[in-house]
Amino acid sequence: MSRRTVVQALEDAAASTRTGYRFIEENSAAEPFFTYSGLERATARYGGALQALGLQKGDRVALVLPDNQDFVFTFLGALRAGVVPVPIYPPAGLRKLGGYLTNTLHVVRQSGAKVLVTDNDIKRILGTVQAGAPELKKVASIESMRKSSEKLEPVKVGLDDTCFLQFTSGSTSAPKGVIVSHGNIAHNVHAFMKLGLQVEDGVDSGVSWLPLYHDMGLIGFVMGPLYHRNTVSFLPPLLFLKRPVRWLETISRLRATVSFGPNFAYALCTKRVRPRDLENLDLSTWRVAGCGAEPIRAANLEDFADKFSACGFNRKALLPCYGMAEATLAVSFDNRGLRVDKVDGDELAAEGQAKVADDPEAASTLNIVSCGKAFEGHDVAVFDPTDEASDKPLPDRRVGELRVRGPSVTAGYFDDPETTRAAFAGGWLKTGDLGYIVDGDVYVCGRQKELIIVNGRNYYPQDLEWEASRVRGVRKGNVIAFGTTKPMGDRERVIIAFETAAPPGPEREELKDGVRRTVRTATGLSVDDVVALEIGVLPKTSSGKLKRRETRSLYERGELFGRTSAREGDNLGLALEVAKSQLGYVKNALLGDRGSSRGQDDEASEG
Amino acid sequence: MAWTHEAVLATVTKVVGEHAEPGTEITEKTELVADLGIDSLGVMEVVADIEDEFGLTIAEGELRQVATLGDVVQAIESHLHQNGELTS
Repeated sequence: MSRRTVVQALEDAAASTRTGYRFIEENSAAEPFFTYSGLERATARYGGALQALGLQKGDRVALVLPDNQDFVFTFLGALRAGVVPVPIYPPAGLRKLGGYLTNTLHVVRQSGAKVLVTDNDIKRILGTVQAGAPELKKVASIESMRKSSEKLEPVKVGLDDTCFLQFTSGSTSAPKGVIVSHGNIAHNVHAFMKLGLQVEDGVDSGVSWLPLYHDMGLIGFVMGPLYHRNTVSFLPPLLFLKRPVRWLETISRLRATVSFGPNFAYALCTKRVRPRDLENLDLSTWRVAGCGAEPIRAANLEDFADKFSACGFNRKALLPCYGMAEATLAVSFDNRGLRVDKVDGDELAAEGQAKVADDPEAASTLNIVSCGKAFEGHDVAVFDPTDEASDKPLPDRRVGELRVRGPSVTAGYFDDPETTRAAFAGGWLKTGDLGYIVDGDVYVCGRQKELIIVNGRNYYPQDLEWEASRVRGVRKGNVIAFGTTKPMGDRERVIIAFETAAPPGPEREELKDGVRRTVRTATGLSVDDVVALEIGVLPKTSSGKLKRRETRSLYERGELFGRTSAREGDNLGLALEVAKSQLGYVKNALLGDRGSSRGQDDEASEG
Repeated sequence: MAWTHEAVLATVTKVVGEHAEPGTEITEKTELVADLGIDSLGVMEVVADIEDEFGLTIAEGELRQVATLGDVVQAIESHLHQNGELTS
């Protein structure tokens, strides 16, 4: 079947007067429902309003819109006007905005956005952004746009045209804007909706609390369902973080069939949903429970399935995914349920070989979740990271860099030829993720650039952090492991820094011993130095992700100890940013800062 | 029911204390994310518990203005005041 632009899909969907989008609010019993027919009319008004601001085909418009309905209408309106939206996550807090404003400014500048649309509250705090971005002509209020009755001037939009720019979590001060074309979306939507989810057009229905400035929420639950006229009900991301049960209640009440979340969402439900809430939940209609956007821990999904089987949850609904913004959204799904490869962790670390564990119960055995096979028309293969031409794919079970090619893969980063060149090798997208393949199934182990190598053995810092986090008294998710050759310069030394509420003195010394012991028992590695810090000392990005590289250089300069709590962006609103861009998801008590998606970033210089 | 400032402060302090790591000092200046030894997801649980105590909702825009325990008390009191549930 011929591929369609998002604009064409929206016009086609307008025939539907039965299915569409429902916007659930935290505090209101009213749940505005817009059929696709109504959506077509509303988005024409928003598109017209953007044109009235002087925006033309190809111009960029930055969107800082915390409200789901505002976001969807403005985003789709922009597409219909041929204008390229640039979603930006909303601010976390009014008080310590330095990091947020810097990041936003970089995105606005890098995208060359002419107009930024936001609400009046946020507009007040974005003043410095406008001053710092010469191409930004206007900051427009969504409040006036809602009332607009401007007429949309039809614009011809083709598959090769840019649909929107997906900025990935600000690596350094130069955030990267992935160019996502209408063609990319058409191919990816076909892949994940039809080949992956096998949705029935107009029949399956979705529920999503995912933030819309992230690809899983935006492409997975706004665009995918639009192509296939499925009803979707949106919840505010913050509501889910506050009351996870609302996600499940909504699925139950609306008899939804498809819903996705990152690993942490499943873990959060297992932890937070109370026994008495289970009685009122019926999850038997939920046929696809997708899990992606961050590394998947089999135990978390199994615990979820165990707990909610009492509510009719079918564990076969679990669907592990692999993907990244540079591949539009999804690369592979495993729709055979949760399948785990039990491999020898020692062999994996020492030899880069995913050997099946002799003893599945041994402490060194790792459970690695299959993310299934690449969608038809797409390829995933593993290469040596130094193989710049992608000449020699590595054999099955050999760990290397996962690389992807196919029609969902981006043409590159907006206005950034250098980064674009560096992202490809012989026509393959270098994902930066480490993994291996068995019979075509993709298994992800971690991120290449974070690797610590000691005596020829590879260690993933996330694994060390995970182990250290298990020590009671260590602040979960606030542990950083890194390797350094300074100040000694002889060999790579391994350092673990963590935050704790324990006062300096014997209690801290005991904690440090505990960390050494636990890490040594679990990985066999002797940590060279363990650093216990006050809460708030470890440097973080504006989205709350720990900055591994900066921690390392602070340590190398001997400045880590003298630091006092000065973390920016740390306040209540941080939790909203948890769900931020590519990888904000990973700020998570259970996993620490652990991520496989390409946006995962430990070196942002903003904070 | 009617709340006084002292009762609001005591209730918020109590709920926050239930989530903080043992031994953490809690005052109006305590920053919810930085000082409590709980991560930002944990803080959202604290907010939910506080909302339940007072039977109200702290909206997203309000949360953006909250950093310390004192800010939370203020946000709660402005709701209570609107509902005529705050006595001075």
